[in-house]
Amino acid sequence: MTGQKAFDRAAGGAAGMKKLFPGKPRIAVGLATCGIAVGGQRVYDRLKEIIGKTGAGICLTKTGCIGYCREEPLVNIAIPGQPLVILHRVTEEDAEGIVGAVRKGTVPHEKALCRVPSWDHMTGTVITYGTGFDEIPLYAEIPFFKHQKKVILRNAGFINPEDIEEYLAVGGYAAAEQALTRMDPESIISEVEKSGLRGRGGAGFPTGTKWRITKDAPGKEKYIICNADEGDPGAYMNRNEMESDPHMLIEGMIIGAYAMGAKEGLIYIRAEYPLAIKRLRLAIDQARSCGFLGKNIFAVDEGRACGLHGKNIFGTGFDFDIRIATGAGAFVCGESTALVASIEGRTGRPHPRPPRLTDPGGGLWGIPSDLNNVETWCNIPVIIRNGSGWYAKIGAEKNTGTKVFSLVGKVDRVGLVEVPLGTTLDTIVFDIGNGGGGGKKVKAVQTGGPSGGCIPVRLFDTPVNYESLNEVGSIMGSGGIVVMDEDTDMVDIARYFINFATGESCGKCVPCREGLRHTLILLNRIMAGKGSAKDLETLALLADTIKNTSLCGLGQSAPNPVLTTLAYFREEYDALVKP
Amino acid sequence: MIPKETVIEPAEQPKKQVTVSINGNPCRADEGENILTIADREKIPIPHLCFEPSLEPYGACRLCMVGLVRHGKTSMETACTLRAKEGLTILTDTPEIVKYRSVLFELYLAQTPKSTVIKEMAARYGVTKTRFLRRVDTDDPLGGSCVLCGLCVRVCNELMGAGAINFINRGPYTVVNTPYAEPSRDCLGCGACAAICPTHAVRIEDLDGERVLHSWSETKVPLARCEACGKYFAPAALEKSVLSRIEPPLRDDLAGLCPVCRAKKLAKKEILAATGGDLNHA
Repeated sequence: MTGQKAFDRAAGGAAGMKKLFPGKPRIAVGLATCGIAVGGQRVYDRLKEIIGKTGAGICLTKTGCIGYCREEPLVNIAIPGQPLVILHRVTEEDAEGIVGAVRKGTVPHEKALCRVPSWDHMTGTVITYGTGFDEIPLYAEIPFFKHQKKVILRNAGFINPEDIEEYLAVGGYAAAEQALTRMDPESIISEVEKSGLRGRGGAGFPTGTKWRITKDAPGKEKYIICNADEGDPGAYMNRNEMESDPHMLIEGMIIGAYAMGAKEGLIYIRAEYPLAIKRLRLAIDQARSCGFLGKNIFAVDEGRACGLHGKNIFGTGFDFDIRIATGAGAFVCGESTALVASIEGRTGRPHPRPPRLTDPGGGLWGIPSDLNNVETWCNIPVIIRNGSGWYAKIGAEKNTGTKVFSLVGKVDRVGLVEVPLGTTLDTIVFDIGNGGGGGKKVKAVQTGGPSGGCIPVRLFDTPVNYESLNEVGSIMGSGGIVVMDEDTDMVDIARYFINFATGESCGKCVPCREGLRHTLILLNRIMAGKGSAKDLETLALLADTIKNTSLCGLGQSAPNPVLTTLAYFREEYDALVKP
Repeated sequence: MIPKETVIEPAEQPKKQVTVSINGNPCRADEGENILTIADREKIPIPHLCFEPSLEPYGACRLCMVGLVRHGKTSMETACTLRAKEGLTILTDTPEIVKYRSVLFELYLAQTPKSTVIKEMAARYGVTKTRFLRRVDTDDPLGGSCVLCGLCVRVCNELMGAGAINFINRGPYTVVNTPYAEPSRDCLGCGACAAICPTHAVRIEDLDGERVLHSWSETKVPLARCEACGKYFAPAALEKSVLSRIEPPLRDDLAGLCPVCRAKKLAKKEILAATGGDLNHA
């Protein structure tokens, strides 16, 4: 609010640091949706009960998810002067042992996954926990972690996502403050352009270019929108980003709003993500109360700048606020024009582009709008804080930065994996994922969800970047990697994804609505052993037609699973059909 | 929030004339005019189902796909959404277009096996058979002829402002009908949906002082009776809606009369005025 006492970011950070290091042991339970699903909440409740009963001098809190889904529930223990120890596969029964050990100044070693002596939060803050517990493996020695580079997930699993002060303690909102008080919109956009950041929703459009188009679009008003309609089966990167570090998204949007001159931002999020919605709402409220959102945000007080959401952010005379719009979980609403239709209260059906969202008349309520994926926004604070030069060194040429993937399916180590772009599928599936679950042989991966394709194991030297994945017939997509092993029937996989896409087609254009229906009928016939070689020809022609004639990205990419399995696993189709 | 209406449109200026090439024929056109309209004018056949000049291009039927030649490469675009620019080069019958268009026609033939319009249109483009399973729905209020082009929905919502019908469900389960498939209270009975339907799928009938919209959940709309001749001539709600847009002196002349009696009344009035009150002047 105008005239409010400016919030002191440094003081907030100091308060947050006291929460991270309360001067007594701190136990943090990983409570993102994934952790809760496997009993994290019960572990938390039990720990709370025991600590309450024994009156032990232990601080209990919650944190997000570090991404090692297979080993959940995960619990962090930070004993002053000792490294942070991550416990894995913790159950309620372990709670008593944990509290008992911690009271004695140690940890239950049989439950320990690894230790973290210090952690770089990538925003100028390196937290040193301490030394000791040498018999527990180091974080960097764990195969699942050692090939990863945590830039987006730098805070996930370390800080309490429901507490803005902990985010401030690890360098949070420093980038927004820097952008709003010491940079002009032009230099921010130029930094984003130079960083080489490309859209993380899957299409890979250069973010800086999109921002510039929006900024230069006619009209004083602009909207910025965050696409949090993550709907690919098996993909949950954005969910964890929002649940584990919601302020990172908000900070990215504040910077983008200032750069593009938007006073209002919207987060379009699917209703199936209740915890993410809850944490985002809480984070937005906290940011408002700190003056980071609202009027005159980041208000300068006696030379110190520091408000965040709301009006006049950082005392710059700049007003910005964020609202949340929930969708009813339609896959097609991830398509930009359908997403805008959905926010406006119309049926989520795409329309032909142009007009694009950035065009006058094409955006939300007809106003030029910038739409970026959650993870794209999450990249912004670290780019501003560390500079485009630093960022551009990560990853590969024209594919800079890191990307979070959800490595799921029949893989041994299931989890969220963050690697520099250009990392090969080999590294992701074998070095990080340890190959097939139960010792089975890996056969293929599906990248990009129902819009992507199946890539056979012989092409696993393919670097994961936008262009290389397109060359092998798949797409980057938002980051789902579904692993298939020797037992997986590839025709059935194609049928599964076509079934999904058929149900999610909006029904507007013929190739997608009718074509996918007939693709499914053909696949069912082939699977039932009633197909002929002629059906395979028809299937290929139909898939090709849908890809080339559909109105929007859903239809244009929906046949990819059929086209790639036909190209790489033709023998499985041939075995099913009569000659 | 700013409603869409307030978006400032650039002032109307005389349209720049451009030349586009369609199948090698130079065609003069207004800049920004859509290619489908130009081709229609030049009698170059491009099939289409969802286009109507008084509505925004919709791009759903995908039949008007043409090849756009740029830098030696041909990409596919829908002619209804492609705008004329100087030097644009269009091909309507490349082998690629023919291939995909034929598959689309096969999909239509399977979707609307009963529609003679679709059969004839497909046949004009050399497609007489479909490899796909034909849809059979004996209860379809649109008689197995609806191609879901959306023209009826758009004309009802965007031109008539009635909003009586819309799409229901999504994907392959999409149908057009009234909300909850109940008789509509918003329907004016104007019949624009039936008039615009490219496959004549909408069934409307005038019976005993009522217009019955069989396809729209048997919605019944009362008809207005002509005060002069006693014939039913238009849905009462539609008459009211039309009259509300006309200024009083003329409105009073037109109210309550069928087109024939209306013409008689106006003609009589004109003659009286011109002859100073003598109807038998001639």
